[in-house]
Amino acid sequence: MVLRMAWRNIWRNKMRSLVIMFSIATGLLAGIAVLSLYDAMMNSRVRTVIDSEVAHIQLHHTNFKKDYDPKYVIANGDDVLQAIKKMPQVKAATARSITTGMLATATGSAGVTINGIIPEEEYKVSQLKQKLTAGKLFDENKKSQVMIGKKLAVKMKLKPGSKLVLTFTDTSGAIVSAAFRVAAIYESANAPLDERNVYVRMNELNELLLSNASFHEIAVLLSKDETLKTVQQNMQQLFPSVLVESWKDISPETDLMVDTVDQYSYIIMIIIMLALAFGIINTMLMAILERTREIGMMMALGTNRSKLFILVLCETLLLTLAGTPIGVLMGWLLTAYFHTKGLDLSGWGKEMMSNFGFGTMIYPEFPAERLPAVLLIVTATALVSCLFPAVKALKLQPVEALRR
Amino acid sequence: MNNTVIDVHNISRVYNPDTIPVYAVNNVHLHLQRGEFTALVGPSGSGKTTLLNMIGGLDKPDAGTIIINGMNITELSPRELVDFRLHNIGFVFQSYNLIPVLTAKENVEFIMLLQGKSKQERDQRVQQLFKEIGMEDKLNVRPAQLSSGQQQRVAVARALASKPQFILADEPTANLDSKSAANLLDIMALLNADENITFLFSTHDQRVINRARRVITLVDGKIASDTAAVDISQPHKFETV
Ligand SMILES: Nc1ncnc2c1ncn2[C@@H]1O[C@H](COP(=O)(O)OP(=O)(O)O)[C@@H](O)[C@H]1O
Ligand SMILES: [Mg+2]
Repeated sequence: MVLRMAWRNIWRNKMRSLVIMFSIATGLLAGIAVLSLYDAMMNSRVRTVIDSEVAHIQLHHTNFKKDYDPKYVIANGDDVLQAIKKMPQVKAATARSITTGMLATATGSAGVTINGIIPEEEYKVSQLKQKLTAGKLFDENKKSQVMIGKKLAVKMKLKPGSKLVLTFTDTSGAIVSAAFRVAAIYESANAPLDERNVYVRMNELNELLLSNASFHEIAVLLSKDETLKTVQQNMQQLFPSVLVESWKDISPETDLMVDTVDQYSYIIMIIIMLALAFGIINTMLMAILERTREIGMMMALGTNRSKLFILVLCETLLLTLAGTPIGVLMGWLLTAYFHTKGLDLSGWGKEMMSNFGFGTMIYPEFPAERLPAVLLIVTATALVSCLFPAVKALKLQPVEALRR
Repeated sequence: MNNTVIDVHNISRVYNPDTIPVYAVNNVHLHLQRGEFTALVGPSGSGKTTLLNMIGGLDKPDAGTIIINGMNITELSPRELVDFRLHNIGFVFQSYNLIPVLTAKENVEFIMLLQGKSKQERDQRVQQLFKEIGMEDKLNVRPAQLSSGQQQRVAVARALASKPQFILADEPTANLDSKSAANLLDIMALLNADENITFLFSTHDQRVINRARRVITLVDGKIASDTAAVDISQPHKFETV
């Protein structure tokens, strides 16, 4: 009977009930939108880190990253690389020879990290191929080619075909300089990295470094993100003398950002829920005040407070139940639309986004995993915010309520 | 066996005791026997509602005691009073008696649901009561579709549904035309005669007063006159309205 009364009470003031239902639906929609937007941004950032910057796992000589001294190559690098390529979880792996140095042109110079790569393998691991905006891939028939990032190219006024000189220290400590010609210009989502990294062929760099056939870094791309931890542990066991790091170790700021944004998204949820709560408190309070005499009469007849309380609670719960599918559906439609169309965030400033390593096109997904949490939050908010009106109803004195 | 249902001992109720005190009920002493059909009369503001509210356990006297069927209700906690009202007293108010979202039948059932009565018992009682108030055809109609007179009859049925010790009706005919008022009084009187239901109702309508077997007149919160305990074993002739 209480449920029936609650249900009919909802339809007494259709407009008002629709407003609450709509607020609940909007609250849910906003929650879903915020979560999916943040998730998508973070996903896109994490994907960028994994697919085009760091890969899943990197291996180095334990001392190498302290100051990039080229003498710290991975011991038995070829054996390690072959063993890794055979691991079933590994999708692709490539070796890199790395050193820091100076890039100079006729007009100026800049500090750079010189990556000696094996082009065909590199393309599979870091999507270098897809990032090219001008010029051509490494050409087997041409020597001394270099690929540079767009930001650096703009700064140094370089174009495909331009000449530049790279200067660095070789393994014996002597300073070497070599001339290179720009083969291509690439652009990633991460402008600071573009400014810093240049790519040359590994065998050419090794020759200059006097460290033939060895290398400093192995970058490993896995088939599945989830296997990261186990694979990392396996590798560390297999190659105890090598430093094995995951992208989370190498790019802790990304991991931190994902966590922080997670928290932010919940803070925004709380703000949305506060707005929803005020709406519900207001409307339910009106509904109670309107029914003062009726509630007084029910109390006079011998309806105890807990039954009245349950009645108000039921009304709110029913409205929430009615509003929820609408909100979820709207959220689903919205995310589905942007998932296929993509959401262009360049309005927020492409420059700024790329300085933080964000791509501007994101593809929000319906946050199905977090939906239960969102539903719980919305329902809890609705119930908590009807407590105040419910208590107000209970405080009515039947004699006074009936006198009105 | 003690047949006193309502036993009111020198009760008073003062409003605004700190500013301008209003002695709404002033030292009232009153006994009602089971099966009485009593009118509480007096001009507006004479304290009828206040007195009925206190007898009904809706309000507490500032002095004196009220004993209902042997139980001192002035000592009950608010929570106990809710339960007391549910099981002992039938209420009919002047207006706004029924829960608008419930049908006539559900309104009557409501009180029995609160009492925890079984579906079978509820259905049986509802059938019987609607027959008695002559509204068997209006079971599933919402209050808004009923006339004021019909609404008050349903309210009487609901008051009876809980099988109370007695029924308190505060100006039950005040919003009714004379025909509906007479009709309601007929039903109340019939129930009083047939089922020995005790009625205490307030009114300032002379035609209603004429139907009562006992008339207590209240003036300024005091009992001005009481036709007193009539011998209820004697058959009673109603005057016509
Ligand atoms: N809540 C209240 N506060 C102050 N005075 C009240 C209150 N309720 C009733 N009164 C006063 O008490 C007196 C009796 O009122 P009431 O019992 O309603 O009389 P009746 O029902 O006979 O019209 C009136 O003077 C009325 O103004
Ligand atoms: Mg009154």
